[in-house]
Amino acid sequence: MKRKFTAITLSLVLMMFTVLMAACGGNSSNQSEQSSQQQNEQSSQQSSNTSSNNSSGSSGKVTVQFWHSLGGKNGEYLDKVLKAFNESQDKIEVVGTYQGSYAEAVTKLQQAVAANTAPDIAMLERAYVQMFAEADALEDLTPYFDKTPDLKVDDFVPGLMGHSKFNNKLVALPFNRSTPIMHVNKTLLDQLGLQVPKTWEDLKKVANALVVKENGEYKRYGLTMPYDTWYPMAMITQAGGKFFNDEGTSVGFDSEGVKMFQFLKDLQSTGALYYPPSQDSANIVRQMFINQKVGLLFESTGVIGSIATNTKDKFEYVTAFLPADQKHANPTGGANIAIMASSKNKDAAWEFIHWAMTNPKGSLQFILDSGYLPYTKQMVESKEIQDLWAKEPNRKVAYEQLQYAIDTNKHTAWPQVEQEFFSAIQAIMYDNKDIKSTLDTFKKETERILAESK
Amino acid sequence: MAFQLRYLWRALDFLIKAVVLIVFVFPFLWMISTSLQTLEETLNFPPTWIPAVPQWINFVEAMTAGPFLTYFKNSVIITVTIIVIQWAVMVPAAYAFAKYSFAGNKLFFSLVLLAFMIPGQVTFIPVYLMLADWGILNTLWPQIIPFMSNAFGIFLLRQFFMQIPQELIESAKLDNANEFKIIWKIMIPMSIPALATITLFSFVSHWNDYFWPLVMTDSTAVRPLTIGIAKLRETEGISNWHIIMAGNVVLVLPILVVYAFASKQIVKAFVYSGIK
Repeated sequence: MKRKFTAITLSLVLMMFTVLMAACGGNSSNQSEQSSQQQNEQSSQQSSNTSSNNSSGSSGKVTVQFWHSLGGKNGEYLDKVLKAFNESQDKIEVVGTYQGSYAEAVTKLQQAVAANTAPDIAMLERAYVQMFAEADALEDLTPYFDKTPDLKVDDFVPGLMGHSKFNNKLVALPFNRSTPIMHVNKTLLDQLGLQVPKTWEDLKKVANALVVKENGEYKRYGLTMPYDTWYPMAMITQAGGKFFNDEGTSVGFDSEGVKMFQFLKDLQSTGALYYPPSQDSANIVRQMFINQKVGLLFESTGVIGSIATNTKDKFEYVTAFLPADQKHANPTGGANIAIMASSKNKDAAWEFIHWAMTNPKGSLQFILDSGYLPYTKQMVESKEIQDLWAKEPNRKVAYEQLQYAIDTNKHTAWPQVEQEFFSAIQAIMYDNKDIKSTLDTFKKETERILAESK
Repeated sequence: MAFQLRYLWRALDFLIKAVVLIVFVFPFLWMISTSLQTLEETLNFPPTWIPAVPQWINFVEAMTAGPFLTYFKNSVIITVTIIVIQWAVMVPAAYAFAKYSFAGNKLFFSLVLLAFMIPGQVTFIPVYLMLADWGILNTLWPQIIPFMSNAFGIFLLRQFFMQIPQELIESAKLDNANEFKIIWKIMIPMSIPALATITLFSFVSHWNDYFWPLVMTDSTAVRPLTIGIAKLRETEGISNWHIIMAGNVVLVLPILVVYAFASKQIVKAFVYSGIK
């Protein structure tokens, strides 16, 4: 009896399996083939987006896998670039695949490197480059520049190359880059007879003058910024500090950190600064700025386009450099692209990158569409960018601020240290903890993490 | 006095139900409302509750932003396959655990419970490496194989089967019914509430799964709806919430349909077993 039961169940399950195998298998290519070969076929199928069974379609073409983190409109702009490249020649097919947010894409890439399923080109948020470079997962791009003399390493804007070199190797190139900037409601400032602030002192005055308080409730704040490490980091460098010291053994600031947080707390206490809740903070502060609940906003240059569109009927919107303390200084953001060391199609991958960096339909078009910063001399001098800047001076300001760009958070252990820095920001900005002792704790934790990662 | 107290209870009862209803229904209503707004309306403060002109075009825009037909097809194949296989594994397993005493019954059952307690976040890297080694990353299998056995389902169904009187099975056996017939004609019909509950849970969790498909798939061709919708979000810049919410409405619809069907079954089955 028991045996019969087992036999029936087994055969049932087997039957189901066979049916399902057929059903699911129809959606993909032949599973018995080599996985790499299969991957190529799969991707060419997918890029043409036609029905399934046509696996031998693009014979002889090299497929280059490009993993990125660009969703929404920016994702569509990138697809446009890939399409233009794929149509420009018939040897290489670049397949772009969205792999989630920057952080998710990093996790995916880590496991893919381990499993030997990494793509040919990967987009990396600039602060994660060191981590992969240290693991020798990224190809040195220096030799490739010799093959294409029309593009030189020196053509790239120095302020954006901060995360590109590792142990004298060139491991990544800028792709979609941004920097924090000050977004200003000019109409509001004009009404109050205020100038756009250029220094922290000015900023304090203007932000306080913008505050509107009715019945003990703030109707309008002076300044706001997303909950992020980017802005405190910018202000530490403005005060004359560095995030990490040059040896990479500890933090590179002391009194500068105290001064910066004290400045923010002073502003916060009078409503001159609205510090948003951590969850969804970027969306909150953008909406506040658009709805004129705040006059000044520290945010990425990446939002200039969408803020301009959403405020054009409401007020005059301009951008300005982040105010200086001892000096002007600002970190950079956005992502770089790199060729993976494990790639079997490096030359094809480079051909695409070179095309993107030099062809007007490549990165230049992407930058025009998306609002990211131009990053080669040729792009900056191009007629397209010059015309754009004449029409939208806000975007010129964003580029010009790059002369002060400095990235001082370069370390393979940055992702862990960043978590500690977030804790310090929370303690100070939300829980009103003592600034000096919080930063001392942060310094100790940082030194511990940096020592362990050596 | 007694009358007043009863009155008070009723009012309280109503109030609590109303609050719970609002808490659960409000996000859905807001989602639907947002899916019909313009970008400007989504950015306004105070928020827009009812869009001035319903923007049906948002749905078109959301569904043409990527290969949504592929995403939808993948989601359906994955979820349905998982549920079918889970039934095929779960029902005989629960039956054996509930109605047979064999050596290792307890041990195997604790293994099932153990599997139930390990979250996917712990196992995904070894599983990914293994499936990459098998060369099936570009098929739908990595999203199906790890879920073929539903430990929670086996557990729940076993408890349910144990309540079914042994005499029923004995008498069926006297009538020459084989094990398959007993499962098919007695165990399954009498456990519809449990099966409906398990199926509903399983459906919702796999239909909505984001983490597993994201880490297990590398190419668009094998990705489900959830990832397609996540891609509607901007990396930097202002997200088009109206488009994203339109995508979410499409994502949620099948769940509502399945839920409507399953909940009816659950209620029906409970009423039926109550009479008996």
